Amino acid sequence: MRSEDRATRVPSPTADESAEALLRAVAAGDEQAFARFYDLVSARVYGLARRVLRDAAQAEEVAQEVMVEVWRTAGRFDQTRGSATSWVFTIAHRRAVDRVRSEQAGADRVRRLVPEAEQTPHDIVVEEAAAKMERESVRRCLKTLTVLQREAITLAYYSGYTYREVAQLLDTALPTVKTRMRDGLIRLRDCLGVEVAA
Amino acid sequence: MTSPLDVHSLAGPYSLDALDDIERELFEDHIIACETCAVEVAELRETAAMLAEPTWAVPPPRLKTAVMAQISGTRQSLPSMRPPTRRTPALRWRHRSRSLVAAGVAAVVAAAGVYVVQELRLRDQRIVAQAETARIESVLTAPDAKLRAVNVDGGGRLTVVTSDNRDEAVVVLADATEPGPDKAYQLWLIQGSTPKSAGLLAPDQVSGMRLVSGVRGTNILAMTIEPAAGSLVPTTSVKAQVPLTG
Ligand SMILES: [Zn+2]
Repeated sequence: MRSEDRATRVPSPTADESAEALLRAVAAGDEQAFARFYDLVSARVYGLARRVLRDAAQAEEVAQEVMVEVWRTAGRFDQTRGSATSWVFTIAHRRAVDRVRSEQAGADRVRRLVPEAEQTPHDIVVEEAAAKMERESVRRCLKTLTVLQREAITLAYYSGYTYREVAQLLDTALPTVKTRMRDGLIRLRDCLGVEVAA
Repeated sequence: MTSPLDVHSLAGPYSLDALDDIERELFEDHIIACETCAVEVAELRETAAMLAEPTWAVPPPRLKTAVMAQISGTRQSLPSMRPPTRRTPALRWRHRSRSLVAAGVAAVVAAAGVYVVQELRLRDQRIVAQAETARIESVLTAPDAKLRAVNVDGGGRLTVVTSDNRDEAVVVLADATEPGPDKAYQLWLIQGSTPKSAGLLAPDQVSGMRLVSGVRGTNILAMTIEPAAGSLVPTTSVKAQVPLTG
């Protein structure tokens, strides 16, 4: 599966081409803006789908569905509710999770649950400095969580488990898991300095 | 199953897509009325999306080719209900509508129109939002639509437009008094002596609109003040009631 991947330069957006501005142009039917938006987010859309699905071919299908959905529904993006990138990754994550749940039976996924320390294929990644810093700070901030917070969040987000499955996997009470997901995300938010415009 | 009281606690799992389909639906219905959860989810989702950063992996170039080829033949959805346009479904309907009943309710609906936008925007990414908007419009423009309105105890007005053919009603609350700390207005359908919850407004919400199904054969639509998470049966005196028959 690696042989299909090829290093390509990922262009960085210019200052006046924020993800939000691009997405507005996409909403107006601008295919060139969409191409640039694709360049901006595709490595994370595909990477996220691949992480959740653990399968390059399925990840490619899901990434394609997601990008077409972005094209179709760009007009519904609401900047007051969050950033353009989080809007896209939210769509991508939900699609990947829905796919993994429908295609991979629970037991199968449990078997796949081998903690993967560094499965991100570094050799094919060409990253710009800002993106690299972002990745590093997410990794660093994940380490500031308690073990239970971190495991609950990563099992749900990266493996697509429901909180009920997570509770089972971690042998922890349901209310505790719900709470750890929430306060873990809050701690992560504070560490990353994530903000949503009111 | 999850009891109404701890629905709020699903914000964390929801933001991580860690709910099963049923609980996801339940929670998405909940955040329409619960601004606290809506705001929290927006923040938690923004944070959760950051978890995509370390997964960075460049896709094969053919993906871009395939995507670009597909989008050039794909129609875009209309940018419905976006704040800049401020053209709410209800207002759009007002321009179109000619029926007398509709004209009577137009002002009421237009006044509450902004709330429809605020509430529906939260589930913008779902087709349901458009379906619901369409359903609201169909009730308001139904040939058999009936408009009834009463004053609310303490101030404000409760307006109900029912369509027996569609078995649905649009309920509009306007300018009621504050329900009080940790309280919210809740709607009830009453048939015989059995009340059935017909929707819960957000805490502190004093104006708003709800689509209510299953109204055919119901005698009364009533409204009470309940704890913010809602009640299974009315626990306080009725603030307003609208007879739905006759
Ligand atoms: Zn809530």
